[in-house]
Amino acid sequence: MINHMGRLLFILLGLWVMGAWAAPPEKVLRLELSAAETGFDPVMTSDLNTASIEQQLFESLLTYDYLTRPVKLIPRLAAAMPIVTDQGKIWVFTLKQGVYFAPDPVFKGQKREVTAQDVVYTLMRFMDPKNRSPYKFLVEGKIIGLDELGEAARRTGHFNYDASIPGLEVLDRYTLKIRLKTTDYNFAHAMAQPMYGIVAREAIEGYAGDTASHPVGSGPYHLTRWTRSSLMVLERNPNFRHEIWNFDPGNDPDSQNIAAQMRGKSIPQIDRIEVQVIEEAQSAWLSFGKGELDMIGLAGQFAPMALHGTHLKSSLADRGIRLDRISDPSIAYYFINQQDPVLGGMSKEKIALRRAIFMVQNDEEMIRVIHKGQAVRNAYPIPEGVAGADPNYRSLLDYNPREANRLLDRMGYAKGPDGYRRQPDGQPLAVRYTSSLSSQDRELDEMMKKALDRLAIRFESEKLKFPEILKAERQCRVQIRLSAWIADYPDGDNFMQLWYGPHTHENNGSCYQDPEWDRLYEKTLTMPASPQRDAIYHQLARLLELKGVTKVSTTHIRNVLTHPWVIGYKAHPILPSVWSLLDIDVSRAPRQ
Amino acid sequence: MPIERSSPGLWTLAWRRLRRDRVGMTALLVVGCYLAVVMMALMGWIATDWTREVGVNYAPPVFWAQDQDETAQRSVIGNDTPDGPIALYGLQDPLAPVLAAIRAQYPQDRDLVEAPRRLSLPLGGDKWGHDVWIKVIKGSETSILVGLVSALLATLLGTLMGAVAGYFGRWVDDGFNWLYGVFTAIPYLLLVFAIAAVLQQKGVVTLILILGLTGWTGVFRLVRAEYLKHKTREYVLAAGAMGASNTRRMFIHILPNTSHVILVQLSLNVIGFIKSEVILSFLGFGVPVDVVSWGSMLNEAQNELILGKWWQLAAAGLAMAILVTAFSMLTDALRDALDPKLKN
Amino acid sequence: MNLTAFLFRRLWQMVPTLLGVVLLVFLLFNWVGGDPAYVLAGKMANPEDIANIRHQLGIDRPMWEQLLIFIRQIVTGDFGNSWATREPVSEIFRTRLGPSLVLLIPMLLLETLVAVVVALIVSAVRGSVLDRTLMVTSTVVMSISLLVYIIVGQYVFASLLGWFPVKGWSDNLWRNLTTYAVLPVLLGLMVSIAPSVRLYRTFILDEIGQDYVRTARAKGLSEPRILLVHVLRNAAIPIVTNVLMGLPVLLTGAFLLERFFAIPGIGREIILAVERSDFPIIKAATVYVAVATLFANLLGDLLYRALDPRVHFE
Repeated sequence: MINHMGRLLFILLGLWVMGAWAAPPEKVLRLELSAAETGFDPVMTSDLNTASIEQQLFESLLTYDYLTRPVKLIPRLAAAMPIVTDQGKIWVFTLKQGVYFAPDPVFKGQKREVTAQDVVYTLMRFMDPKNRSPYKFLVEGKIIGLDELGEAARRTGHFNYDASIPGLEVLDRYTLKIRLKTTDYNFAHAMAQPMYGIVAREAIEGYAGDTASHPVGSGPYHLTRWTRSSLMVLERNPNFRHEIWNFDPGNDPDSQNIAAQMRGKSIPQIDRIEVQVIEEAQSAWLSFGKGELDMIGLAGQFAPMALHGTHLKSSLADRGIRLDRISDPSIAYYFINQQDPVLGGMSKEKIALRRAIFMVQNDEEMIRVIHKGQAVRNAYPIPEGVAGADPNYRSLLDYNPREANRLLDRMGYAKGPDGYRRQPDGQPLAVRYTSSLSSQDRELDEMMKKALDRLAIRFESEKLKFPEILKAERQCRVQIRLSAWIADYPDGDNFMQLWYGPHTHENNGSCYQDPEWDRLYEKTLTMPASPQRDAIYHQLARLLELKGVTKVSTTHIRNVLTHPWVIGYKAHPILPSVWSLLDIDVSRAPRQ
Repeated sequence: MPIERSSPGLWTLAWRRLRRDRVGMTALLVVGCYLAVVMMALMGWIATDWTREVGVNYAPPVFWAQDQDETAQRSVIGNDTPDGPIALYGLQDPLAPVLAAIRAQYPQDRDLVEAPRRLSLPLGGDKWGHDVWIKVIKGSETSILVGLVSALLATLLGTLMGAVAGYFGRWVDDGFNWLYGVFTAIPYLLLVFAIAAVLQQKGVVTLILILGLTGWTGVFRLVRAEYLKHKTREYVLAAGAMGASNTRRMFIHILPNTSHVILVQLSLNVIGFIKSEVILSFLGFGVPVDVVSWGSMLNEAQNELILGKWWQLAAAGLAMAILVTAFSMLTDALRDALDPKLKN
Repeated sequence: MNLTAFLFRRLWQMVPTLLGVVLLVFLLFNWVGGDPAYVLAGKMANPEDIANIRHQLGIDRPMWEQLLIFIRQIVTGDFGNSWATREPVSEIFRTRLGPSLVLLIPMLLLETLVAVVVALIVSAVRGSVLDRTLMVTSTVVMSISLLVYIIVGQYVFASLLGWFPVKGWSDNLWRNLTTYAVLPVLLGLMVSIAPSVRLYRTFILDEIGQDYVRTARAKGLSEPRILLVHVLRNAAIPIVTNVLMGLPVLLTGAFLLERFFAIPGIGREIILAVERSDFPIIKAATVYVAVATLFANLLGDLLYRALDPRVHFE
């Protein structure tokens, strides 16, 4: 009897063990986005949140190495790095074979391989005016014959995707030759953007009108559920090729640790990724604390909760939570509109006024009080981690209110009876600072008010919604603003072009048009990243300060916290997301 | 000749009834204290300069000061850039002569020393080191004034329109009713956004206009009903027969008889608008940066609570709760006193 | 006047109101609502791109033409696609309505239930210490800002004590009702119950003062019976009307709760649309909510007339 019972128990136990072995627990990664996504048609994407999802759904020809710093381009859909000839004008890409799009009804049950023709189609879509792509600037004016197709479509209302153009030549099923109009060493960076992920023509045409909610790509995940501006669920793409985690950790001990845990595993390891949109920072932080989120980008204002200086607080470190801290490839910079009737102009008085305004901006206080230490002073237009950066650059416009006041005194900006300065000709003087309605911007308003008080200049605030700020800026109607720019690709040109005269009404918000500056800048366009180019960049940066155009202020620090069960995470400065390269230690993860 | 008869009027009676209501009188006293503070702040007798940074960042309240963490250090503004000429990379500085002259005359300009700051403040400090106590007083001034003025505006608008609509009736009434229908049918949130966008400029006046222009509907409905009721009463008809003009009948004869309704609506609006100001601040339509209000304080304090800096949230929240409670009770007492039928 | 004629007249009266709403919103947002082209065009757009986008969105057309399009959209019920995400507007509202209702219906039901019960109790013991205490408490409770309740509530109950999830939403209605919606609903009730209690108390006291109560008392009916059967039945009319009219307001009014608890509801969507100058969504939201408000009012009137024999269709 006992024997029987024992045997039964043994069998049951065996069944249970086998069952558990047969179906390993699902690995789920739960994440947050701080702002709502838009839609998942890569050609129409403009924001980083959406790009972070698309990075997992679609694959571009190239990508960036996960562990190497400074970042390095590596092939993704391409079998190898492209062969570049004719001084960077001819680029030959060869695709990996046996790469398939995720299953989708548009393929009618067939497995659909990614071919060179798909790359041509993907690139063409950027110039289709109907798509109004925010990232078309990366190919616009570059590929021979492509702009003309776009121009024709603008006239006829129909883009001819069947046209064959000299710039995009399919050599065979997997090989594509791209011909550029001029030398462009940054073209490879364009091909590494998630927006340039390859799409299938059947899917785009099959879902015409609603491509944003039907992403069909070849990436490691596909979108299985989407509750707009709330929840996105990604699950592994069953058609994803066999790929092995194999990145070179170099000498960095953290990276070596990651490589030791991840090397040899197949990609992806995580079965399911749930991304929630959480707008209020308090909610996200509390969620992470409770283990409802596996990873969180630490909002600046909560840094004192989590960090002691640059280290994780022991209360969190004791729970096994890890901190990954990198400097964002971004700058925050003040600019003054050079065409403004009050602040603009190149007379000495105007230059002095602008420089004085820049000299009362207290970056240290901003870092300490507003960013809670999660930013660093950076005076150079190119941030760390981007080709051409210079951490040792010294600013002409460091905080110095006394000298700024003396400068204005000498230049004839006398104080009126109300205690505020007037223009040299006796006209009243006020500076209008433009910012958005967010609470973070309210803090920056306070900073600017304090700064102008130091100069005894009257402060005026212009509060606009973000689209309106952009509009005002592009129409050269903003007086002064603190703007920010984050690298699209890690090259200095992506930053220096912000002050190029012909980019006025585009993204040169300072509306600075200076033949001397433009001439120098144009020289750099055909130069690869090099000491020669850096020398010119230094002149460009200094000119911006001398003429009182801009003051580069700070660079943000990105702090990412991960729970101990998340394996293999290292913050990447350029890649919007690296989720397919991670793993979850199910034994440590909380039961879901 | 009419005999002078000292018959106590509506208001005298109401005041007598109110005086007997202990809760109402206490509430009146509290509201009175707040108003006195507002007056004193307005005259510049107290809380004159809330923008002065007297404490360290997040200076704790005096009674809480034992718990000082790393942020409570004396802040020093450092200018740690090394001295020596800065390379110009072969460029010319257009301001070189002026700057050289200044630097020759004042060689010490680069050394910046900040005035010492206090480590703790009566009710603590905010992130800049502003005194929260002074901010609360200044914030009371703004919030109460915004509440009062916008409630006056809304009541004025509502009364005027309600009076005209109710008195004249017919197509005039239809017109105003249409407007009322339109305003109540549009989602409040969108109405706020739209009006804020039209007014463009940010400031206290904008805030008052947003609240006033969206808040008149309740008053309108009640006043219109009162006028509908009163215009056919004998005393109004008699005044008409004696040649009183429409305006006279509307505002001299009927208005005093509806004033109790209006007064109660007014105080309800004050309460509602003081609370709305907080929400508007959350949406970014609050007071400008050089003005402080309860709404701006609560929104600032939003993230401070989990940092353990609870004092600003507590101070502003409490100041507001006390006033709103007192004002609500005063309104109740007022309603009871003015309309004794309601009270059982 | 019979019911059909009354209904017909009321529906007919909605037309000018709706037209007014449409005109007002159209003018306000077209005049100052912002130009989304500059955001949609991306970081490096040139003026031609922006012109192209403006053309595609149709905002370069004359005002009257845009208005006609808007009116046609209302008639057909098809508001096109969102400018920001290119998703059909109807789809957005279809998916947003559910979460909003899951939040609002329990809130409204609980609020009404609790408020009626408390109002009955305090009315029964009117003037007593209990009445005074409860009224004072309710005044105090409602005088604290919802923002404070949310910030403190989320911190204390969800994070420190861990009784509720901090935020979240699922597909499962039951799970939403029992897990995710609980804390937001409770916090919402903190500010919404007290005013209702006060209002319903006056409704009930109004009825208690009526002759029929005196008659009932004279007939020797017990006080609870009078309150529960006679008074409540009559006080129900204004109470139901009040609840109905509150529904459309709540639909958009819960945006604070939706934002802090990451609930994909309508209020949050409207804020997002305004921030992005997503005009199709703003237009649709206005029309939907306006229609809902008008119908709620109509329903309220109908109920009022159905429940109260003294009122006739005029």
